[in-house]
Parts: sequence; structure tokens; C-alpha cells
Amino acid sequence: MTTISPASVDFTGSQPETPSGRRLTFVEALVEGMRDEMRRDPSVFLMGQDVGAMGGAMQGSKGLYEEFGPRRVKDTPISESAMVGAAVGAALTGKRPIVEVSFGEFLPTAMNQIVLQAANLHYMTCGAARVPMVLRTRVGDGPYRGHPQSYEAWFAHVPGLKVVMPATAADAKGMMVAAIRDPNPVLFFEHMWLYHGVRGEVPAGDHVTPLDSTFVRRAGRDVTIAATGWMVHKALGAADLLATEGIEVEVVDVACLSPLRTEVVEESVRKTSRLVVAHEAWRTGGFGAEIAATIAERCFYDLDAPVARVAAPDAPLPLAKPLRDAFLPDVRDVAEAVRRVHAG
Amino acid sequence: MATAAPTRINHPAPHAHGRDLLRLMILSRVLEQTCCELNPRWFPAEGEEAAIVGAFYGLRSDDFIAAHYRGPFIAYYLRGADLARLIGQALAKANGYARGRALGFTGPFELGCLPWVAGDLGTSLGVATGVATGYQYEGGDRVVVCSFGDGTSNRGDFHEALNLAAVWKLPIVYVCQNNQYSISLHLSQVLATDTIAARAAGYGMPGVAVDGNDVLAVRAAVEHAVESARAGLGPSLVEAQSYRLSGHWASDPGGYRRDEDVAAWRERDPITRLERQLLEAGEVTRHDLDQLWQDARDEVARAVEVAQAAPSCDAADIGLGEAYAS
Repeated sequence: MTTISPASVDFTGSQPETPSGRRLTFVEALVEGMRDEMRRDPSVFLMGQDVGAMGGAMQGSKGLYEEFGPRRVKDTPISESAMVGAAVGAALTGKRPIVEVSFGEFLPTAMNQIVLQAANLHYMTCGAARVPMVLRTRVGDGPYRGHPQSYEAWFAHVPGLKVVMPATAADAKGMMVAAIRDPNPVLFFEHMWLYHGVRGEVPAGDHVTPLDSTFVRRAGRDVTIAATGWMVHKALGAADLLATEGIEVEVVDVACLSPLRTEVVEESVRKTSRLVVAHEAWRTGGFGAEIAATIAERCFYDLDAPVARVAAPDAPLPLAKPLRDAFLPDVRDVAEAVRRVHAG
Repeated sequence: MATAAPTRINHPAPHAHGRDLLRLMILSRVLEQTCCELNPRWFPAEGEEAAIVGAFYGLRSDDFIAAHYRGPFIAYYLRGADLARLIGQALAKANGYARGRALGFTGPFELGCLPWVAGDLGTSLGVATGVATGYQYEGGDRVVVCSFGDGTSNRGDFHEALNLAAVWKLPIVYVCQNNQYSISLHLSQVLATDTIAARAAGYGMPGVAVDGNDVLAVRAAVEHAVESARAGLGPSLVEAQSYRLSGHWASDPGGYRRDEDVAAWRERDPITRLERQLLEAGEVTRHDLDQLWQDARDEVARAVEVAQAAPSCDAADIGLGEAYAS
């Protein structure tokens, strides 16, 4: 089995044209984005469980409490619904709260606040209300193997929410900055394998990655892989492997799930005529289905083979490592899907 | 830190604002009954006017309110909302504050009211608590008053919101508009304690249960809680114990309860009660009362006329591109 380890990833991200020489991990870049915005804008504050003196789960808010204190870095009880409600309400008063739900596994406890309140308020007040908040959460498999659920597709289904899932350190910072500045509720999904593993060049100072970003991470003429989050890196691993077999893969990082823009994927598919979509979440109703359907609508006559999906199987996610490894899509799965589509 | 047990506030003397409170309760009665006549799916608030008016009276314009869905129009009116636009919401007319996009009982956000953008119960407590979080963050002394039903107090959101507010000492007053019914279920079927206010002790905040048909008692309890919140002393829970005289919705015959129970509570009508008090105190005459009712009917009739003449919601104004702010 071909695997890809986080330590092997060396990936620069979206701003290679202004190399800064600063190489940060994903989580360092993420925290820097929050820190910069908190310095710049006094209306920004962070709340969540253990975000204070502890520095956040997986160092997700390291150093912020020391710099900004308890007024702006607020520890909360284990009350996800109230926490997200607190963010929605504070946003209504013109603040720019960042609320951290420690892990995506806990999002269902805050579902009402997210899909009924945050998503609806702007439209249903004819624009009188705005909800400029960021909900950040950790998802996917990771070094500690806990809380691996990936529910991002649920939220991409709901209009009024923006949903992003950066795959690089530079975008972790740049998209966090953009999310904080955005006048809408933004769900910010942080894949846990990326946290301490992906080191990349991150511009210092003001660095904004537009929320509606989609990136070509590797150019290739034969097959397009459209992937999200950690699967972008597995797709790049598969592309390396397939290059040795003479298959040139183009890897597209769909960093923004909602509102979805597929122009970059469409352009790629018009060139390659073949598409594989890859994500770590379940297959049925997964986000890949939305990409596949959109491409079928817009690029049907450009396709030379059926679109293939690489995703987790439709079963509950097992916890033990051997089961987990067997369950989650890996580089081999991506490569096999590409070979199948390439042959088709 | 907190009063452990709920206390009852006796407030027998006519209040300085008695006549104004009476006017508002009468207006609420006429307004909501009119909405019920115009819309059989409207939620009657008959009998609960004291709990509503007492909760939202006397706030500042820079405060914020989140009103329970039953009878909120008088609360919005107190914020300066236009009656014709509110009635337009009950009629799904385009002159409503949300132009048909939100629920009919939605509040005008631009007047400091929480809109009803979903039909679930409990999330409004979370958002109202968030507004109080925002107010605390900015400093100052703005407060939030959030009302909800006895049924809503069984949602987990009630627990999470009140605990968070107590821990953070947020400037918010929670008012339970207890009408004893969750649609068909009596409170005794869904609550094992005597009062909802008793729960406050579990959160470390003051909790009081008051006669919700006595507007002076509700007003006094909420006023005290608002002053406390404004002074930075944190949240309170006020339970206004009342009774839903009509069905859950206007055309609900309410066959799940006994006529004699309803009749007994009709004897305790909060409007009749205040009228009697003010008459006895010599603060109003029979003629004054007749005039208050006539004024309310005239004011509502004028608003209905405007609302009915307003255009229906127009599909051209559906605003599909307005899901996101830019």
C-alpha cells in the first residue's frame, strides 16, 4: 500500500510569487491569521473550549491568550449550541467573533444555530442583519486519531453559509484572514493531518486568500483530480506515482466548498477530458457528488470517461488504526481511480 | 451570589405607569385578536398580555429584545414598529418588515428586535445571549430581554444559554411567558418541578416566579432584573405565570383541556384585573376605559386597512441573490 505521511509534504501554497522564506506549519499559519486580525480589528475575538491558557486543542490558538487576554480569548463551557449562538448574536451587534467548535464531530450539537440562524438571518431580514462570524473546527483523520468525522458536505448544502477547507499553510492564514473580514458566517474546516505536518511558505504581514479560491496544485494533461483538504495531498502523492507510469495528472484544490465555483475544474476537465473527485468524507451525498454533477451539467461533451469518486465507504467510521487505514481513501485508491478513468 | 428559591413579588399598589400599561395590554388584545381573525394559523396571545407587556415595557431604544412567538407584536410596537407593517406580516403582505421572507411574527431587526428566521424553539435564546455577549464585549450598559414559552424551557438551548450567561455575567433578562401549555400538553406533563424559575438556582442566577396576569408584578420583576443586568450584575430569570386562554393556533378548538379550567382563568383576565385596580384607585373612569378600547380598535382598524391595501409579496422580490452579504 502506498501511503503519504504528513512529514513528507512540502508544499508552498497559493502565494509562491512572493517568497518570504518563512516556513510555518498549517496551524502556526492559522493562528497567525487570527492574531493579525485581532491586532488589526478590535471587534475580533475568539471563543471556544480550551482556547485560553491551554492554547487550544492541538495548539490551535497558541499564544493568543497571552497576547490578548481573557476578554478577547474566551474559554467556554461545553455548550456548542450556546457558543455558536453567542457568536451569531455577537456578530449581529457588529463584532467579528471567531467561535471554535473543537472538533467537527461536535457540530451536530450546534446544528440549529448554524443552519437555522446563522444561514438565514441576512436573507430573511432583507439585508438588515449581517452575521460576520467564523466557525472553525477540526475534522478528518489525524495524528491523534480522535474525532475524525468530516461533515462539511452538510453545511455546503445550506445557502447563506460559506464553507472553506484550506489545504496549505499559506491558505490557512490567508483564508482565515478573509473569513474574519467576510460579512457572512464562514465555516472553516481544519483537517487534522495538515495541522503539524504541512509546512509551507507563508507570507508575513497582510495576506488574504479569497474565500472563493480554487487552485491548480499540479498541472497535467491526462486526468483531473478535484480534491478537498488533506485529499489534495494524497492526490499529489498519487500524481507522483502515476507520473512514473506515464499518466500526467492535474490536481485541483477545491478550497471553497460553498458558494461553489467550478470554473477552474471545468477548465481543467476541458483539457484532460477525465475527472476524479476525491474527499475523505462519505461517498453518498458527499461533496464530490456536487462537483461531479456540476461537471456533468457543464462539461458533459468534454468528458471521455465517466467521472469517478474516491471517498470513504458508506459505513460508520471505525476507530482502531488498522480499521481506519482500511476505511479511509488513500493514495492507492486515488491512483486506481485515475487509472480506471484514464483507461475508460 | 444568587437567590436560591424563587420568590413572589407582591405589588398591589397601582403603578405609576398603570394607565400606559393598560393601554398597551388592550392594544395587544385587539391587535392579536384581529390577526387571529385575519389568519386562522396565527397564535393567540389572549390572556398573556400582562406577561408580554410587563416584560418589554420601559426598555431603552439601544437595548435589544427577543420576543416569544406568541403575542410579540406589542413588544415590537414598543420598539417603534408600525402596526400596519406588523399586520401585513400576518397577512403575508409585502409591507411586512421581512417582505414575506421570514415568519409572520418576525421582529424588525432594524428596531433592535430578534427576527424569527426559523420555526424551531430555543435557538432564539442562544442568539439573544450572543447579542448580550456583544454588548458586554463593547462595554456600556445595553441589555437584552428575551422571552420564551414554558415549552421552550425544556429545550437544551435553554440550559446552555442560561448557564453561559450566568458564567459570563451577561446583561440579559430571560422571561418565561408561562402559559402552561406546549400545544396540547399541560406543564405538569412535561415538567416535574413546581416552577421554571426554580431552575435559575441551578445556574447561579436570580430566579423569580410572578403572577403573570399581574402586569405590575411582571413589570416590577423585569425592571429589577434589567437594572441588575445594566449594572453588570449578570442575568436573571423571571417566570410570568399565566394561562393560554385560546387554542395553540387561532382555529385550534383546544379539546384537550376542560372548559371549566379555561373559564376559571378567564376570571383572572389580566386586562380586567388592571382595569378594576385603576378604577378602584380612582385613576381611570369607566369612560376612560371605553375610550381606551375604542382607541385601540380604531388604531388597529386603520392599520388593517393599510395592510390589506398593501401589495402581496411579489415573486420578483424573492431576492435569490441575497443569501449572502457583500
